Amino acid sequence: MIFISGGVRSGKSGVAEHIVRSIASQHSTIHYIATATVTDEEMRERVIRHQQARRLQPVEWVTWEQPRHVHELIGAFRAEDVILLDCLTNWLANELFHEPGWENESYCRQKAEHILATVKKLSIVSKAVVIVSNELFSGGVLQDTGTYHFMKMLGWLHQQVVRAASSAIVVQHGIPIVKKGEGFMW
Amino acid sequence: MTKIAHVWCSGYTQAAFLPSEATAHTVIFEGVEAFIRRLPERAYWESFFQVWYEWERGAEGRHVIWIGCDITQGIVPMEKEERQWRDVTGWCYQQLAKQCTRVDRIWCGLAERMK
Repeated sequence: MIFISGGVRSGKSGVAEHIVRSIASQHSTIHYIATATVTDEEMRERVIRHQQARRLQPVEWVTWEQPRHVHELIGAFRAEDVILLDCLTNWLANELFHEPGWENESYCRQKAEHILATVKKLSIVSKAVVIVSNELFSGGVLQDTGTYHFMKMLGWLHQQVVRAASSAIVVQHGIPIVKKGEGFMW
Repeated sequence: MTKIAHVWCSGYTQAAFLPSEATAHTVIFEGVEAFIRRLPERAYWESFFQVWYEWERGAEGRHVIWIGCDITQGIVPMEKEERQWRDVTGWCYQQLAKQCTRVDRIWCGLAERMK
């Protein structure tokens, strides 16, 4: 399991794709799990830009659009496959906020624990899973309950994922900074 | 006789207290930014930290551990109150970093020692 985090427009998707390709063998299928829901034009443009970047690459990508219930995909992966999950931030937000309940911290905790269990399962059934997330903890602690619970759960998930991961990387301005484990050839 | 190992005080659920109320040799203040938010006054916190610093030095084995969220790296907020909170928090962290013997920056549970 590899964890990659970074700010907005930091180049983390590019770094994640690079790592995925370097791990994949010729027998691997690369699976891309997209958790973002396309709700506006700006998001659509971003998705298209990322899709075009992947299309230019020699290896084949299988894309799964799965805003929630990522565990339903587990049967689709083989031991030699590599999975890129982009991203944890959207996935958690989608799980927390698609129905009422997020006002309650234990409800949020349950959702986060389910996500962690799914991530661990993904890493067991595949060759590797690369998890992309966001650095959004430095802009202050917001006071509305929803955002507060969201940040608390995301922070908890980051800690657990980094603990389980063999490598953890922060991307800043397109530059990967290895926080844990071995580096990759850039 | 039971001895309490440490006292944990979170700014998100509790009020800060002074050394006269200390019931253990190790005192942990977590969510320093939350304490400051309720009273964003630099002078008050400077003397608050100073008082704890003196308590810590007053006897062998005393420790105060300050845990804070770095809220200083986002966009400068529009609202005056939010800016004030951020500024005071930044100053407070500088003072704490100066007076503490050890400073760590934590990212996802990994500690990077800075001092």
